[in-house]
Amino acid sequence: MENVMHGGKSEVHHHEVELSVWPLITAVGAFLLPISFMTSFSWGLSSVGIILAGVAVVILIVGLFGWLNEVHAKKEDAGLSKIAILVFIASEVALFGGLFAGYLYAMLFTGTWPPANTPEGVPPVMLAIPMTIFLLSSSFTIHTAEDKLAHGDMGGFKGWLTFTTILGALFIAFMVYEWHHLIAVENFTVRTNEYGTFFYTITGFHGSHVIVGLVMQIFCMILAAGAKIGKNRQTLMKVTGLYWHFVDLVWLLVVSLIYVVPFLKAGQ
Amino acid sequence: MSTQPAGFKSWLFTTDHKKIGVMYLVTSLVFFVVGLLLALIMRTEQLDLTKKVIIDADLFNTAFTIHGAAMVLFWMIPVLLGFLANYMIPLMIGAHDVAFPRLNALSFWLYVGAGLIAVCALILPGRLDTGWTGYPPYSIVGPANTAFYVFAVHLLGASSIAGAVNFITTIITLRAPGMTWGRLNLTVWGLFGAFIIQIVGVPVLAAAVTLLLFDKYLGTSFYDGTKGGSPILYEHLFWFYAHPAVYVVALPVFGVVSDIISTFSRKKVYGYTSMAIAIMIITVVGFETWVHHLYVAGTLNWTRVVFMWGTIAIGVPTGIKTFNWLATLHKGSIELTTPMLHALGFISLFTIGGVTGIANGLLGFDIQVHDTHWVVAHFHYVLAISMSMLCMGAIYYWFPKFTGKMYNESLGKTAFWITLIGAMIAFLPQFHLGYDGIPRRYWKLPAKYGPEMKVAVIFSYITIVGFLMTLYNFVHSAIKGKKAPANPWNSLSLEWQIPSPPPFYNFENIPTITDGPYEYGKPADNTVKAH
Repeated sequence: MENVMHGGKSEVHHHEVELSVWPLITAVGAFLLPISFMTSFSWGLSSVGIILAGVAVVILIVGLFGWLNEVHAKKEDAGLSKIAILVFIASEVALFGGLFAGYLYAMLFTGTWPPANTPEGVPPVMLAIPMTIFLLSSSFTIHTAEDKLAHGDMGGFKGWLTFTTILGALFIAFMVYEWHHLIAVENFTVRTNEYGTFFYTITGFHGSHVIVGLVMQIFCMILAAGAKIGKNRQTLMKVTGLYWHFVDLVWLLVVSLIYVVPFLKAGQ
Repeated sequence: MSTQPAGFKSWLFTTDHKKIGVMYLVTSLVFFVVGLLLALIMRTEQLDLTKKVIIDADLFNTAFTIHGAAMVLFWMIPVLLGFLANYMIPLMIGAHDVAFPRLNALSFWLYVGAGLIAVCALILPGRLDTGWTGYPPYSIVGPANTAFYVFAVHLLGASSIAGAVNFITTIITLRAPGMTWGRLNLTVWGLFGAFIIQIVGVPVLAAAVTLLLFDKYLGTSFYDGTKGGSPILYEHLFWFYAHPAVYVVALPVFGVVSDIISTFSRKKVYGYTSMAIAIMIITVVGFETWVHHLYVAGTLNWTRVVFMWGTIAIGVPTGIKTFNWLATLHKGSIELTTPMLHALGFISLFTIGGVTGIANGLLGFDIQVHDTHWVVAHFHYVLAISMSMLCMGAIYYWFPKFTGKMYNESLGKTAFWITLIGAMIAFLPQFHLGYDGIPRRYWKLPAKYGPEMKVAVIFSYITIVGFLMTLYNFVHSAIKGKKAPANPWNSLSLEWQIPSPPPFYNFENIPTITDGPYEYGKPADNTVKAH
């Protein structure tokens, strides 16, 4: 034994946690989501499916918040999540990489892009401009919020974080309006053509990531209100910030490939 | 020091890496048995090539679908990246637990959820009959409930990504003082490579099947050729992950083989650095091979050539590893224990699979054997049986550590030889069938192959009996085995330096590491004695 390791330093050992109910609760929520989808679409019980989906989302949110609350009840903060979120973002890059690869595959192997039956007002670049402004400026506001937190200015932190959340929520509101407008007025749906299929899928995937980012910000706000986030506990906020910057970065790709490129090509 | 929780709740709500590891092991073994039984049914069906024996063609389709999914997604990947990573990584790097114990528990329960959906896909109406690949257009227009497939992949994918994030962070941040990258067990290196592949690959598979779901239920046109989509897009996205998934299994297996061979040859692993580099090369080059699954699908010609070279090139690091194992054995003080036999059996089966894999990767040859029994034979040698066998070897090797009991050595050896004899012959006839161009996945084959299929069937029975004997050995020994010493193999690796089974906190204090895990033959070796 001696030749591979020494006796070790004397230290207080802490096994981080022994029992926690939250992972199982979160997993139940995650499991019920697909079950609700299948109840609606495979087994034709749409109302039961919708109720189940609601229950699943509630369980999921309760599970995740209980989880974060439990983590933040402890004194120490190892800060390991900063590395973890970078690894996780790598997997998100792969996810969007796969989607964009599929989009480019469709674009390059289709003669005209967007296909001829795409309505005139698509892509709605005029709507994309304010959406871009909201998201890009929110990257600056969240950075400022983190900065305030690092200096212990809790009032400034909460203010700038709220500002960020409002900008993100505005983005989602515009997106909802955009989808509604395209479907109801322009009659442009997922079934219209390949472009419609990819348009809604990629903007939808991105929008769902914005919503996840917003939920993280709201979690941060609640924990900050309970004084569980502060100058000496910044990890969750840093993680939220990194994730939010990533979501913004993806939006730049969405805007250029899904809006601008087809817009320019359609104008030719 | 808090006391160790006990009882039912201590498993249900546990965040302890060792308990989660054991739960992974038990669950994955259940799926292994499901996969074996389905194999048994399919083989029995092929005893008579002229009429139905026990199941009709529709059930046969479901059987091979769930057989493939259960074996790859629910047995081999979880037993290695779930059980082995969970149990061994903290012990091997000198940590109290993983970086995120709760996330670890979530990974496990998501895997269970995915497993429940997979079981539904086997028994509920709308049984999955698409093959484990789920290719459109059949998966979109066919009768199967594709949602089973998609959601099983989603939950499993979430589980895999959470696990990969957790273990990559653990390996980077929680290594004990002195546990440098050059002192990591090759098992840890292999798992590290596998987790990187999971991080990059799984999301793409998740995206691919999500689009499948949209096509089937929301009327989108990603893969529907009649509406401007392309089914080939699915094949690209699917195999971008599903081919590297082979390396997700293979890399940890390679690491385990190195550990076992070094221990039972009482020699340092030959070329440790080249072994670690080879693992990392396979991690990267593994992503330059997927188009070989699309050689006859109608992709661009230059991609076929580029990916053929990628496919052939991956034989080089793999070959380096094989020769390094042989060099480690050379002049070693070899002890033919049950785990060692499994490692050697793995190398022989894997070599047959590897050499046929090179042939399979050659564009010209593949056009003849693509999607035939030849491919089935190849991947059962290279992946399915050889690596399942090595997983058994890994469980044997660490059995004293995680149960605190010794397994039955003579039963272990007998079961090994039965498995190996069965495995060596069970798939040989299929090389010939494939060479003749007989497609895989068919319920019945031309009657003239009857005698060959009978050989295949009988030897597959022998293989299955061997595996079941091994499983019996595990269960029986876990309950009634003799108490195991802390280090029955006199290994120098860190996980053997603590009691068996490990105490709740693993290490009383985090150790300081002063030497690598394979430094046999140094004078200090004498100080390591079995307790």
